[in-house]
Amino acid sequence: MAASFLFSQFMGGLTTAMFLFLIASGLSLVFGIMRVINFAHGSFYMLGAYLAWQGVQWFHPTGAGFWAAALLAAAGVGILGAVVERLFFRSLYGREELYQLLFTYALVLILGDAAKYLWGTDQLSVSTPPVLAGSVVIFGSTQPIYNLFMMTIGPVIAVVGWLVLNRSGVGRMVRAAQMDREMLGALGANVGRIYTGMFVVSSCLAGLSGALVTPIQGIVPGMDVLIIVQAFIVVVIGGMGSIWGTFWGSVIYGEVLSFGILIFPGFSLFSVFALMAVILIVRPWGLFGRPL
Amino acid sequence: MTSESTTTTSAAAVPAGRVIGSGSSVISRIPWTLIVFLLACSVPWIGGRYNTFLAEQIAIDALFAVSLNLLLGTTGLVSFGHVAYFGVGAYVCGILMKTYELPFAIAFPAAGLGAGLFALVSGYFCVRLIKLYFAMLTLAFSQIIWAIAYKWNDVTGGDQGLPEIPFPSFDWMNHIPWLGDLKTSDQFYLLTVFLIAVSLAIIHRIVRSPFGRVLTTIRDNPERAAFIGVNVRMYQLAAFVVAGTFAGFAGALYGIFSRGVFADYVFWSKSAEVMIMAILGGMDYFWGPPIGAFALVWLNQEITDYTQYWPFFLGTILLVLLFGFPGGILGGIDTLWQRLRRTRRA
Amino acid sequence: MRLQHCLGLALAVAASAPLAAQAEDTIKIGFPIPLSGPTAVYGKPILAGAELAVQQINAAGGVLGKKLELLSRDSKANADEAVRLSRELIIKDSVDFLLGTLTSAEAPAVSTVAKENKIVFMVPAAKTTLLTDDAHIHPYIFRLASNTDVEGLAGAGEMAQFKDVKTVVTIAPDYAYGHDSINAFIAAIKKQRPDIQVVDSQWPKLGEPDFTPFINAMMSKKPDAIYCSLFAGDFVTFAKQAAPLGLFKAVSNRVVDGGEVGTPDAAQALGADYPLGIIVNAYDPVIWGGGNEPPEHKKFVEDLKAYTHAEYASGWSIQGYSMVEALVEGIKKAGDTKSDDVSKALIGLTFDTPVGKRTFSAKSHETFAPEYWGVATKTAEYPFAIIKDPQPLPTNFPTN
Repeated sequence: MAASFLFSQFMGGLTTAMFLFLIASGLSLVFGIMRVINFAHGSFYMLGAYLAWQGVQWFHPTGAGFWAAALLAAAGVGILGAVVERLFFRSLYGREELYQLLFTYALVLILGDAAKYLWGTDQLSVSTPPVLAGSVVIFGSTQPIYNLFMMTIGPVIAVVGWLVLNRSGVGRMVRAAQMDREMLGALGANVGRIYTGMFVVSSCLAGLSGALVTPIQGIVPGMDVLIIVQAFIVVVIGGMGSIWGTFWGSVIYGEVLSFGILIFPGFSLFSVFALMAVILIVRPWGLFGRPL
Repeated sequence: MTSESTTTTSAAAVPAGRVIGSGSSVISRIPWTLIVFLLACSVPWIGGRYNTFLAEQIAIDALFAVSLNLLLGTTGLVSFGHVAYFGVGAYVCGILMKTYELPFAIAFPAAGLGAGLFALVSGYFCVRLIKLYFAMLTLAFSQIIWAIAYKWNDVTGGDQGLPEIPFPSFDWMNHIPWLGDLKTSDQFYLLTVFLIAVSLAIIHRIVRSPFGRVLTTIRDNPERAAFIGVNVRMYQLAAFVVAGTFAGFAGALYGIFSRGVFADYVFWSKSAEVMIMAILGGMDYFWGPPIGAFALVWLNQEITDYTQYWPFFLGTILLVLLFGFPGGILGGIDTLWQRLRRTRRA
Repeated sequence: MRLQHCLGLALAVAASAPLAAQAEDTIKIGFPIPLSGPTAVYGKPILAGAELAVQQINAAGGVLGKKLELLSRDSKANADEAVRLSRELIIKDSVDFLLGTLTSAEAPAVSTVAKENKIVFMVPAAKTTLLTDDAHIHPYIFRLASNTDVEGLAGAGEMAQFKDVKTVVTIAPDYAYGHDSINAFIAAIKKQRPDIQVVDSQWPKLGEPDFTPFINAMMSKKPDAIYCSLFAGDFVTFAKQAAPLGLFKAVSNRVVDGGEVGTPDAAQALGADYPLGIIVNAYDPVIWGGGNEPPEHKKFVEDLKAYTHAEYASGWSIQGYSMVEALVEGIKKAGDTKSDDVSKALIGLTFDTPVGKRTFSAKSHETFAPEYWGVATKTAEYPFAIIKDPQPLPTNFPTN
C-alpha cells in the first residue's frame, strides 16, 4: 500500500475525529460536571446544522455568509440550552438519573419533530465557504482545505478548553462544582449559574459543530440519532469529563473507522461498539478519565 | 452526590407488585386477571381483524415491558439495551423456522434459551458496573447485536431482514371445535395470548417469591443487602437472565406476528420505547408495564390518524409523566384512590 | 392489583368496539414510500406523480364509476417500517391495492406481505432481481422499474465507450440493489470489453454520512474509471465529499452512475457542486436534448409543474404517474377491483407512459424498462446539470 494512500486514510480519520471531538466535547463536559448523559446533545447538533443552513439562506446562499450562519447556529442552540436547563433540567437534579435520562430522550423526540416541521424532510446542503474551498496536495494526497481547517480547530478548542478549566477562576469553580456541589454552594457560590453556564457552553459547542459539518455532510432528519451513539462511544473510550480523553478518544475512533474499512470491511460497524464494550468492561472510566 | 434512596419517587417505599385498592373487599374478590385473559381470547370473534392485530401487538409489548420491569422496577437496574434480547429471540426463532424449517415447538424455546444465554454473558459484565456505566454497557451490547444483525447478510438477511417467517403449524388446533374455523393468523393470536399469559404468570410468581423480595431489597439499598449476606451480583445476574429470556420469548412471537424479522427491531430507540411503556404504566406495579403498553399502542394509533408528528406527542407525554406523574398511570390512580379513601373515612 | 384490572378491563372494552363501517365507493391505494431521510428526494416526487395521475383520473370520472383514493405513508426507506405500514394499510385501512416503496430492501419485504394477503403490489423504483426471480415471483407483484440486469447492461455499454480504460473500481451501497447492480455490470462488461478489469469494490452502507475512507480507498487503486451505484441523498453526499478530494479529476470524469442521478431532483440537490461530465441516467430526463420529445411527455411535464407548483418538473414523478395509469388499465381490463382479477389482467398488459409503451412480462411481471443515459452538462438556460442528448438504453435487452 502506497504511503500517500495510508496518509490519506490517516488524514480522513483525523477529520472525522475532529468533528466528533467538537460534538463529544460538549457531551463530555456536561457529563463531567453534572453527571448527566444528555441524549439531546445530538439534537442540538442537528439544530445547529439546520440553523446554519437557514443562516446561509438569509445571509448569502453561495456560502460567503457561512461564518455568520455558524455563529447564529451556536448562539441559537446555546439559547435553547439555557432555556432547557433553567426551565426543566433544574427541577430534575435531585431526582434519579433515570428521570434525567428520559427527559433528554423526550427532548430528542420533540426537537426531532420540531426540525422536521420547520425545515421539512428533504436532505439539505450547504456549500463550502469560498475562503476554505479547494484543496492542497500534501505528501502526494489531495487534502481539502476545509478538512485541514477542521483538523486545526479541534486541537485549538481542546487547548482553550483545558486552559479555561485548569488555569482560570471560572474553571476552578467548575472543577469545584464537579467535586463537591453542596460544599461549593455552602461556600456561597451560585452553583445553579455554573451549571447553566456549563450547559450553555456545551450546547454552543454542539450547535457550532452542527454548523461546521454542513459543507461536508447532508442535513437530514435522523442525523441526531446517528451522531449521538458515536459521541457516546468516543466519550466512553476517552473518559467522561476529560477534555483530552475525549480528544484522544475521537482520534482513536476516527482512525479505527477509517482503517477499518480496509482491514475488515464488514466489521467496522461492529468493531466500534465492541471497542466501547471492551473499554467499559476493562476500564469503565475510559483511557483518560478518573474513577467516579 | 447524586440521589440515592432519598428521592421523591415512591420506589423506595414500595414493595414489589404493589396492590391498589386493596382495602376494598368487593373489588379484590373479582378475578380481574381471568377476565382480562378471557376478553383477550375473545378478540378475534368480537373485535375483527384490526383489533386482533392491535391486541396482539399490545400483548407482545406487554410481555416485553414486564420483562424489562423485572430489571427496572423490581431490581433497580436501568438497562438501555433490553431490546438486544428481544432481537436475539426474534432472530433465533425466525432463522430456525425459516432457514432451517424447524417447528415452532423447538424454535420458540430455543429463542428464549438463546436470549437467556446472551443475557448471561452480557449480564456477567454489566452487573459489575455502577449505574451509569451499566446503562452504557447495556447500550453497547445492544448495538453490537444490531451491528451483527445489520451486517451478517448470510444469516440475518442484513438490510433486507428475514421476511416471510412461516406461521407455526396449527394442525393440532384444527381438531378443536371452534378454533379450527379460525384464520391461521387468529390461531396464532390465541397461541400468543396463551403463551404470554403463562409467561406473565411465571414472572409474577418470581416477583412475589422470596427471590423477588431479595431483588427489591437490592434495589432499595445494595449495601444493606450485601451486609446481610446477599450476593448482590449473583441476584442481579439472575434477574438479568430471567428478564432476557422472557424478552427473547416476546421477540420470537413478534417476529412471527410481524411476518418478518428486521435489523431495525434491535435499534436502541426500541429500548427507549419499551422503557417508556413501563414508566407510563407505572414501574412500581407489576401490571404497570402491560397497561403502559396498552396505553402507548392505543395512543399511537389514535394520534397517527391525525398527524405524522407522533414522536413529538410521545415526547410530550413523556415530559408530562416525568414532571407530573412519575408513578405513571397506575401511580396516578393509586394516589387518587388513597385520597378518596381518606376523604371517605373522614 | 384489583383496581388496575378494573382499568384494564375498561380500556379493553373500549378498544373492542367495532370500527365504523368504511365507505365503499372509493378504490383505496396504499402508498408506502420514503418521505423523509436521504432517499426522500426520490420518494416524494414519485408520490407527487401518483397524486397527479389520481387527480386527472378522478376528474375524468374515476374508474368503473369509483374515485381513486391514495393513502400515503412515510416508510423512511426501512424494510421493517414499510412492512408494518403495509400491514396496517391492509388490515386497518382495507386498501384494495399497494403501490410504492423505493429501495430494494423495502420492496421484497412488502412483496411478501402482498403475497400473503393476496393483494396487487406495484413497484416503481426497486431494481433488485430478487423481487421477481423464480424463487420470489407470485401472482400479485408487478415491477414498473427497470432491473439491475438492464441497468448493468446499459451501464457497461456506456463504460465500454471509453477506449482507453483498463481498470475500473466500483462503489455501491451495501445491500441487495448495490450488490445486484455491480454483479450485473461486471457480467456485462466482461462480455463487451474483456480487457477491462474491476480491481476493487467499495460497499458503504445506505445512508452513509461519511464517504471519505471509501473515496480514499478507491483513489489508492489509481483506476481509469469508476462505476457507481450510489443514488439519491447518498450520491449528493458522495459527490460533495469526493470533489475536494480530487476523485473526479483523477479519473477525468469517467464515472458511470446508474442510480438516476441525472434527474433534475438529484441535480438540484447538488446545485453548483454537481460533478459535470459524468455519465448518468434517469427514467425521465425531463429536459429533452435533441428536439424529438414525445408530445405526451411535453404535456405530462406541463401538468406536473402545474400540480407541484414547482419551477422545474421532477424526473421521478413519471414512475408514480405511470404506475397509477397501469393499475387503472388493469382494473378496466379486469372489470372489477378484486386483486385476483386485476393481477390476472395485468400480466402481459401493455400500457402507455409519457415516454412510450411498457408491458408487464408474462413470466416475471416486469417491464425491463430502458432508461435515458447521457453526459451531465450545464447549459445557460437551467441552473442545474442536465443530461446532454439523453438516449434510451439498452437497445438490445432480451425481454421474455
